[in-house]
Parts: sequence; C-alpha cells; structure tokens
Amino acid sequence: MISQFFILSSKGDPLIYKDFRGDSGGRDVAELFYRKLMGLPGEESPVVMHHDDRHFIHIRHSGLYLVATTSENISPFSLLELLSRLATLLGDYCGALGEGTISRNVALVYELLDEVLDYGYVQTTSTEMLRNFIQTEAVVSKPFSLFDLSSVGLFGAETQQSKVAPSSAASRPVLSSRSDQSQKNEVFLDVVERLSVLIASNGSLLKVDVQGEIRLKSFLPSGSEMRIGLTEEFCVGKSELRGYGPGIRVDEVSFHSSVQLDEFESHRILRLQPPQGELTVMRYQLSDDLPSPLPFRLFPSVQWDRGSGRLQVYLKLRCDLPPKSQALNIRLHLPLPRGVVSLSQELSSPEQKAELWDGALRWDLPRVQGGSQLSGLFQMEVPGLPGPPGQGHSTSAPPLGLGPASLSFELPRHTCSGLQVRFLRLAFRHCSNANPHKWVRHLSHSDAYVIRI
Amino acid sequence: MTDSKYFTTTKKGEIFELKAELNSDKKEKKKEAVKKVIASMTVGKDVSALFPDVVNCMQTDNLELKKLVYLYLMNYAKSQPDMAIMAVNTFVKDCEDPNPLIRALAVRTMGCIRVDKITEYLCEPLRKCLKDEDPYVRKTAAVCVAKLHDINAQLVEDQGFLDTLKDLISDSNPMVVANAVAALSEIAESHPSSNLLDLNPQSINKLLTALNECTEWGQIFILDCLANYTPKDDREAQSICERVTPRLSHANSAVVLSAVKVLMKFMEMLSKDLDYYGTLLKKLAPPLVTLLSAEPELQYVALRNINLIVQKRPEILKHEMKVFFVKYNDPIYVKLEKLDIMIRLASQANIAQVLAELKEYATEVDVDFVRKAVRAIGRCAIKVEQSAERCVSTLLDLIQTKVNYVVQEAIVVIKDIFRKYPNKYESVIATLCENLDSLDEPEARAAMIWIVGEYAERIDNADELLESFLEGFHDESTQVQLQLLTAIVKLFLKKPTETQELVQQVLSLATQDSDNPDLRDRGYIYWRLLSTDPVAAKEVVLAEKPLISEETDLIEPTLLDELICYIGTLASVYHKPPSAFVEGGRGVVHKSLPPRTASSESTESPETAPAGAPSGEQPDVIPAQGDLLGDLLNLDLGPPVSGPPLATSSVQMGAVDLLGGGLDSLMGDEPEGIGGPNFVTPPAATVPANLGAPMGSGLSDLFDLTSGVGTLSGSYVAPKAIWLPAMKAKGLEISGTFTRQVGSISMDLQLTNKALQVMTDFAIQFNRNSFGLAPAAPLQVHAPLSPNQTVEISLPLNTVGSVMKMEPLNNLQVAVKNNIDVFYFSTLYPLHILFVEDGKMDRQIFLATWKDIPNENEAQFQIRDCPLNAEAVSSRLQSSNIFTVAKRNVEGQDMLYQSLKLTNGIWVLAELRIQPGNPNFMDLELSLKCRAPEVSQHVYQAYETILKN
Repeated sequence: MISQFFILSSKGDPLIYKDFRGDSGGRDVAELFYRKLMGLPGEESPVVMHHDDRHFIHIRHSGLYLVATTSENISPFSLLELLSRLATLLGDYCGALGEGTISRNVALVYELLDEVLDYGYVQTTSTEMLRNFIQTEAVVSKPFSLFDLSSVGLFGAETQQSKVAPSSAASRPVLSSRSDQSQKNEVFLDVVERLSVLIASNGSLLKVDVQGEIRLKSFLPSGSEMRIGLTEEFCVGKSELRGYGPGIRVDEVSFHSSVQLDEFESHRILRLQPPQGELTVMRYQLSDDLPSPLPFRLFPSVQWDRGSGRLQVYLKLRCDLPPKSQALNIRLHLPLPRGVVSLSQELSSPEQKAELWDGALRWDLPRVQGGSQLSGLFQMEVPGLPGPPGQGHSTSAPPLGLGPASLSFELPRHTCSGLQVRFLRLAFRHCSNANPHKWVRHLSHSDAYVIRI
Repeated sequence: MTDSKYFTTTKKGEIFELKAELNSDKKEKKKEAVKKVIASMTVGKDVSALFPDVVNCMQTDNLELKKLVYLYLMNYAKSQPDMAIMAVNTFVKDCEDPNPLIRALAVRTMGCIRVDKITEYLCEPLRKCLKDEDPYVRKTAAVCVAKLHDINAQLVEDQGFLDTLKDLISDSNPMVVANAVAALSEIAESHPSSNLLDLNPQSINKLLTALNECTEWGQIFILDCLANYTPKDDREAQSICERVTPRLSHANSAVVLSAVKVLMKFMEMLSKDLDYYGTLLKKLAPPLVTLLSAEPELQYVALRNINLIVQKRPEILKHEMKVFFVKYNDPIYVKLEKLDIMIRLASQANIAQVLAELKEYATEVDVDFVRKAVRAIGRCAIKVEQSAERCVSTLLDLIQTKVNYVVQEAIVVIKDIFRKYPNKYESVIATLCENLDSLDEPEARAAMIWIVGEYAERIDNADELLESFLEGFHDESTQVQLQLLTAIVKLFLKKPTETQELVQQVLSLATQDSDNPDLRDRGYIYWRLLSTDPVAAKEVVLAEKPLISEETDLIEPTLLDELICYIGTLASVYHKPPSAFVEGGRGVVHKSLPPRTASSESTESPETAPAGAPSGEQPDVIPAQGDLLGDLLNLDLGPPVSGPPLATSSVQMGAVDLLGGGLDSLMGDEPEGIGGPNFVTPPAATVPANLGAPMGSGLSDLFDLTSGVGTLSGSYVAPKAIWLPAMKAKGLEISGTFTRQVGSISMDLQLTNKALQVMTDFAIQFNRNSFGLAPAAPLQVHAPLSPNQTVEISLPLNTVGSVMKMEPLNNLQVAVKNNIDVFYFSTLYPLHILFVEDGKMDRQIFLATWKDIPNENEAQFQIRDCPLNAEAVSSRLQSSNIFTVAKRNVEGQDMLYQSLKLTNGIWVLAELRIQPGNPNFMDLELSLKCRAPEVSQHVYQAYETILKN
C-alpha cells in the first residue's frame, strides 16, 4: 500500500505532495528522499531505497522525480508500473509533462490522484475510465502559435520525423477542453523499434535483438473502431510460414487487452476501439535472426606506438541501409585509455564533428545515406600507458581502455524487422465534419549498438 | 514555477484577499480562489486560517468545487478537529445524494479525516454505502472500512463491518471484489490469528473468476491473496496454476510477477514427473525474459527476483544465458546483477560463451565492474571444473595487462582456484610473483602471501619474498599479518634449515609487539606447537585442507524458500525476509513453501531410506585434522574476532603446559584422554591458575567450534523412571534409564524386590523394535535378590537385533523373567542414545544434502523458554553427539547448522535459530530435514530433553 506520492522538480522542490495513509513524516520525507538520492554511492541501485521503515521507489520522467513511498512489503513492480502510468496519465490530462505543466494544474493533479489511488490502493489508471470522474479542466500553457511551427518542420527542418507529423501536436493534452472536438480529430500510430547489437572484435555478430512496439495516440472520441493492417507476411515464432518470401518474422508478440484478434490469423489485421489517450497496441521482439543486414558496420584499425605514446585510430563506418534510406543523428562513442591529452582528426566530410569528451572520443555525423561509407582518422597522445611487454614498440593490438565503440542513431521510415503498417482504417460512425487526420510513422533507433575493438 | 498564476508573489494581504474571494457570490470566482488555496497548500504555505471560509463553500451542487473543498478538508481537518465537525452535516447529507459520484466522494473523504469525533458519524453512512446500488460507491466504501479499521479497530468489529466486507467478496462487480480482498488482506495482517480471509476451494473459485474480469491492479490484489492459500493436494494446485498461467502474458509487470509467485509456490506441490510440471517450467521463462527489455528500474527489480528463481529452479532459465549479457549502456547496478546471474547459470554447456563475455567486461573502463568481472571468472573456474584451465589462462592474460586493480583481483581469485584444485596450476606461480610489488590492497597481499606459503617448497626465493613483507609488518592490516604468520610457519616446516631466524622473527613480532589478540593467540599456538612437537606441528599446519566449493555465495536454503514466497515484493529486492525491514507487528509471520501432499505416494520408511554410512561403524574418535586447520585458516577471511587483550607477561608461558596434554592426546592413541579438561569442560575450571581465564576460553572456543573432540564425555542421561511397578509384577519393581557413553549404549536398570520371597534366575529379552536394539549380554544378577534388596545393573545394548517398525517409533517392549513369572512392560527410549559419534557432516556435504532432501521432509518445531546462547546450546548438544557444522549470524539471530547420524545410518540435518540477548523471546526454532521424516518428531524431543536438562 502506498503511503505517500510526490513529484519533485529536478532541483528537489516538491511540486505535488499527497499522503494517503496519514502516517507521519510530512513534507520532510520529500527532502529526505532527495538527500538520499544525491548521496547514493555509485554502484548502489537507486531504484529501491529505504530509510528506517520507509521505502522509496521512484522514476525520472521529463526531468521530474515521481516518487512513491511505502512502509510495507509490497510489490515494487506495481509501484514502478504505477509511476510510469501516472506519468502518461498526467501527460494525457495536463499536456506534455514538465515543471510548468504540473504547477499550473495542481488542483487537477490532486483530483486525478484521488481517483487513481484510494488509501494507497490503486483503483484504475485508465484515462478512459477516469474521464467519468474528473471535473477540473487542464490549464494549457499558451495557445497554439505560428512560432511553434518553426520546430514543426515546415521550412525544411532536418529530421524526417518532424516532416511526417507536427511533433508538438502529439504532446498536447488529450482531454483538455471538451468544447472543440473538431480540432483534434487526429490519430498517431507509431511503429518504434529499438535495436541492440553486439559485434565481436573479429567482426562476427554476437547478439542482435529488436524490441518493437506499436503505439497509438488517439484524439478521436472513444469507441470509434479502427483497424490496423500489418504486413501480411508477418510470422510469429520460429516455425510459422506465410507468403512465398522469407516473411517478416518475430519471436514473440503481446497485445493490449483491448485488441481484438479475430482477423489477425487470417489477414494480420488488428481491430480495436481505443480510448482517448496513449496506448501500446502491440509489443514484439525478435532476436538473433534479422531479415535485413545490420544498418552499420565499423572497421577500426589501431596503430599504437608505445615509445612515443602516440595512438592512431582509423575508423571506417559503412552504412548498409538501402540507398534510398538514411540514418540521422549518428554518434559514435569510443572510450579512450586514461590520460589521453590531445586529439587531431581528419574527417571525410565537413559536416562531421569529433571531440574528446569525458575520456572518450565522440564523433557526430548528422546524416548518413544508405550505401555510403565514411571515415575518420584520429591521432592522440597517450603518455605513460602500460601495455603488453615484449612486443616491440609499435603494435596494432589495442591498448587497454580503448573501446568498445558504441553507436547511437535514428533510422526514420525504417523498421529493422521489416514490419510495416499497411493501412489504418477508421470506421467512423459518429458524424463529424472532417475526416480525421491519420499519422503513421515508422522509426528504428539504437538501444545499445556496440562494436568491440 | 514563476510562470504560474497561482504562485504569484505573496503580498501582505494575500490571505485576506483569498478570504474575500472565497466569500464571493460568483461560483467561478470561488472555484478559482479554492484552487489558489490548494496551490499555496502544496508549496507549504499555511492556509489553515481560511478553514471556515473554505468549509462554507462546501454546500454547493458544483461537483468540481465540492471536490476542491474536500481536498482542502483532508489536509487540514486533523489540525482543526473542532472546525472539522462543522463539515459533518454536509458529509452525512452528501452520502445520501442522488449522484453516486458525490456519495462516493463523501464516504472516501470522511475516511481520510482521521478525527475521532468524525468517525462516530461515519458508521451509519458507511453501512448504507457498503450496500449501495452503485458499484463505484461500494468499492469506495470497501476501502473505507480499512481506513476506519486503522483509526478504530474495535469500532469496525463492533459495527459488524467485517462481515459485510466478507460478503463483498461475492459481489457481482470485480472492482468491488478486488477492493474487498485488498481491505481484508490488510486487516487480516494486523490480526494474524483471525480467520478473516477464510480461503477455501469455494472462495478461491470466486477469486479466480473475478481475476479474469477486474482491472490489472485488482488482479494484483487477488493474485497476492491466492499466494497465501495452501491447496489441499496436487490436483487442486495444478488446477489453480492452470487458471493463473494466462496472467504471465499480461503487459503489467506487477501482474506477471504476482502470477510467477503463485506458480513458484504451488509448483512445490507438483510432482516433477508430471507432464504439467514441465509445461509450467517452459511457460515461466518467456515472461521473465521479456522483463529484461523494460526500463532499467524495472530490469533491476526483475533481475533481483530472477536471481532468487535461478537459485531455486535453475532449469527455468538455463537456456537463456544470452539475455543476461551486459549491455554497454546498462546502469552499473543492472550490470552487477546480470553478472551474478550469469555465474549462477554457468554450466559446462555455455561456459565458453560466458568466459568470452567476462573477458571483454574485464577490459572496460568502469573499475568496480571490471573487478566484479574478474571475480566472476574465478567463480566460473570453481563452479565448472572443466573450465578451470581456460579460466586460469584467461586470468593470466589479464595479469599481463599490468593494470593494477585487475592484477590484484586476479591474484585473489587465483588463490581460490588453488584451494579448489590443489597441485594443478602451480606453473603460474612464477607469473604471480612478478607482480608482487604492485600489490597494495590487503586482500590481494594476503592472497599472494598464502600462495607463497602454501607452495614454499616450489618457490626458490620464498624466504626472500616473505621476508620482504615482514619489514613493514606493523603497518599491514590484520588479514595480511595473520597470513604472513601462517605462511612463514609453513615455510619453516618445509625448509627448516634456512628459515629458523625468519620464524623466530615473525613469532616475536606477532606475540610481543602486537596488541591484536587474534594475532597473538595464533602466534602462541604456533610457538608452542613448534617448541613441543615439530612433527605434530607439521601435521597440524601442513594438513590437507578441505576443498572449497562454489556454494558459498548461495542464499541459505530456508531463507531462499521464504523469499520465494515473497517474489515480486520488496523482500525479493532486498533479499531479506520482511521481518527484517517492516515495522514490527505487521507481516512478520514467516511464510514457507507448501509441502507436497500427493495422496497416491507413500512416504519413505526408515528401513528403505538410503543409508548414509554402514551402521554400527566404529566411531571415528580423532577429527579430521584438515577440518581443524581449514577452519583456522578460514578465520583470516572473516572479520577479526575480538577477544580480551592478554597481558604481555604471559610470554613466559612456554613453561606452562598449556597445550601439551591436549595435543598429545589429540595425536596420541588414548581416546579417553581426548575431551579432557583442556578442551571441553568450562574454561574456568581448566585453565592453569597463572594463565588467566581469557586465554583459556579463547582457545577452547577455537577448538570447540571446529572439532568433535568433546563427544566422549557422554550423552545426557535422564533420571531413572519406574518402568514396572511392583504391583504388576508380583513384587518386582524395575526402574531404569538409557545411557550412551563412549559409543556404547546401555540400559541402566534398578531391580527392587518388594515381595516377601527371594528372586532368582533373572533373564531379559526385547521384542523386535525400530532400530534393532537388543541386549549385548545376558542379564546378570549375581546373587539372589532377597526381599527389600535393590540391585543396580548396567545392561549393554547393541543395535544388531531384528528390526520392526514400532508405533511410536521409539517404543521398546521388554520381557523380564525370574523364578516367579515372566513380566512384560514397554518403555520409550530417548532417541539421542542412537546418535553416533561420527555424526559430524562435512560443510559442503551438509549444504548439498540439505538442498537435496525435498522440502516436504522438512519439519519445524519450537523449543520454548530455552535461555541458552548459541555456544551453550552447541556444546550441550555436542556432548550428545549433535554436531554443529556451521554457525552464522543472520539479522541478529544465531543460526546453527547441525547434523547427527543414527545407528542405522540415517542422517538428520538441523537448522536451529536462536535469538540471543532477547529476554522476551527465548524460544528456539528448530527445522529438521531427514530422508526418513518419521524420526523428526523424536529427534525434536531429544533436542528438547537435552537442552532443558
């Protein structure tokens, strides 16, 4: 049973404080939490902390700390789940979560908390169900203005993602005012995949897995039915076969409880009547067996002269995406041996940047076209580095502390599993003045893309 | 915060302004004003002065305004109880409102106002709301009962709310059921004895039905409640498992873990041969793996749980090694947990993969993680024998990197590998010695010194190496000093000619210049040994050591079983039982896994139980020396045991025969001498007068703990009881008792002739009995027994007679004949006369056996009001051949792990929990595990008899 819930700003100021059980402590508890968190030694987990009989569980979301405390032996999973649901819920009701949003909507937040938790028991976290009870309306920061469009990407902004859909539109509250329904006939459907890869120093692939999810954010009135058509060759499990080609295969799929699957077996269609707000329609994972080649390969070579302490690293990065696709915001992070003093570089194109940052080499590439190849030559001074004896002065064995390299990137309009949304159809019964806007986005990004050197 | 209109700067008259606004006629203005008040409340401003004005706004039909006012009330009612009464009427009225939202709101808020006067008014509205037609009101009222119970438990019971709450379990609305279950579970926790949540097959069925319909949060309450139920047999357990299994694919991880808890617990009741058991095992893996793709916080909590599951049932995740590979961007606390699980899952099949990973980790930048990775390589070597060679070469590669902390860590683990595989990898010693100078951490120095001492005969310059350490002897930590002392003594015993000076030097450093009692004591022991009997010294110091095993880092089996019952709770994250961190009173009931109760199987009888050793074996009097020395060495690695300081004058103690007698008999061939005064009897009586008690007690403790020397002093003997009254046997009265001494059992009889005639021609015979007890010699009464004469006879017994299971097990039927008639009587013998002298189990075997014996064979007992501490208990039990294998202190409780063996070879393993220093809690908790569970009850009685007398 939850004793208290509070939201702290990134500096530790309490924005919301709610006590469910009348057990003492008061506001000092929030301060105690913040002090404890800041003073925690490195390797200790901050996830579950305790002070005497009080246990703190928290998550960080948009720079805020959402904290629950308890004095009983209850499930930390339910607390963590609850906190992340609360974050979504507050976003649904108040608009994109942040310090300002919360302090503008204190009364609304308390009202929500009262309905979500009674005496520390979770009652419901469904945006839809709560709509019946919530009276207070959200205070939205400022009306939509033309200036916001500059970030939307109308004027040739860089990212593909913002070209597809106005990103700020998706971050306003779902349920702010009940008056103007027409404005928000919008549905956002995102297929997002996280890619983790581990490549051994000899170039062999040790591990690859893809965590994917289909997320829906609906501004439509509740109860409108929609059908989502997925790639027909979509196979689940190792043994299933569909279509003539190799198919799109995933290992495991789970669906939200509101998804009806009667057309899934035959036509790969998901049917659902989504409530307003955010919803994860489907989650899937795939490991070891990727249908397409990996997006990036890295070919490093290292020259190291121990006598002079000179370390030379030549990195060749090849992008194996189809030529029409591209990767954005690529960053390569390469930890360096301790004591590196200087860096000189030769990069293959002017828009790239490389710098030393926190004991590592950071190489930024704003975009890489599929099929292209980029390179960088980096020279560093590393005085006094110990190394294997008896191998002469110059060696190509990497010194200790170098690597592994990790890459982070985004692949817009690309899914590593190959899964695509064929269509999104709305059966629109409620008469409405306009056709709803449907935004379907595909995006892959790196979770941990590690290449050992 | 500055951009919010509610937080505008505080002017002097702010409260005043708000007051005016609150009393405004316009609804909108009022509402805005209350919002401002609440905003001020949140940032910690005192707005209690506005209480009457806010309460005035309460009577409104605007739900939004009403909610805001109620919010304010909850916060301030406690500080203004008198004012709060003003609101009562409105509350009561609102409970009758036609709008269910308002009814629920009123009853919810009233429950949160923790003012006694208000609770009196709450009862009637609450009673109505519990029976409300709207489920939203009912579910709110159900929680309100729990609130009220917390404020005034008696009131709730008197008003009969608990019964109404029980009825709500059968409600048609699943949300109401879930809240009722949650409220009842909480109330039941504060009354452990009450039978509030009366779980029976019918109510379980209702819960399982509600499980499918209610929200994810309600499912958690219900699953947690199910986990407390004990099904009556395996069939019921299976049917519940089948209905819970679908929850494993739920998107909410809390639901998944609560389901895992139910399944792990009920699985205990299923037979492993069942097809369903295998199916269930397979179903448990995917949801656990899925959790590892969640955000790091959830991952961490999941990993802590998986760590427990892997220890209990490794088969679930044995094929999933890869998912535990560390990701580069994992937070450090996730990395360390993954590393730990990788080791637990390591086996011959996947060791190559694991080692390759660990080697990579060892070259990362994070120092803490690198250290743990190197340790992990060592643990692999010890766990998977086939991989040892590869591990050693990996470690050598790492030592070549010359990175200081890697080298030190590697040396520490190589020492462990030497302990596990002696005389196998000495070729690497040369490489290790090259790195001697770079070691600056005590643990690494101590490990290196141990290696040099252990293999002194193969290291040409061992004396130089050790001498170099000796220079800064006083600056070293205790750990290093102790190791150095032992190592030099070993060196001396191996190469006596060249190192005499060195050993003199270290002994005097240890005994004269040190104020650490451990160091001094050990110095004296060595000194004494070397000066009296170098041969004995060699046998003691250079004895073969017991091998170490990988089991050392496992959680205690009983604790593990308890933690399995708490999967998915905080206890599973802390790896501590809830009693260790939850405030007293609540939730401190120890949970345990259910025993297997399959009706079809018959339990093993003692006759069919596998014999641990051939019965009737001669007791092994002299303990394995390895045991003794091994423990002496182990002492280094633990924290130093502080003992009373010793006066330096005792240097002259060479003249006192402190150890001579004891040692002679330890090595000698006179078993009677063992357990003589030096070792066993209380220290005060034994220590030579000029020595001072502390020293003596320290020494005897040292030996008591490690050896079974004291056993020959004999088991506890009960006073004689009358077995055959004279009235039943024509004037012959027999009383007697059983004894066990020096490995032989005897029946001490006292025969009294209360008849008027002389008795002659005595003979005795036993019926067949459970342990084959039989007279080893005829009953010899040398002279005729004249009237009113009494004779005492000790009848030797053996255990080679015919065996028949008796009821009770320790029943013995005896026939005695004399010239008058034949008389029959039966008596119960205490089981401890059957405890043999070689009943001390090796630690590793103990641990393995404990795990191996199924849990349903475990029996738990309480020994009430036993004010002894662990040492006293241990020594008292030892004299009756119950041996303490290991002792640990867990959460302030002493845990004794004990073993004993019966004459027919049945081993009994015991765990005894003692709470020292708690005058209110002098009960000992005894858990017994045995392959023949029938004996447990009698072993418990033996414990009680021995400890209470």
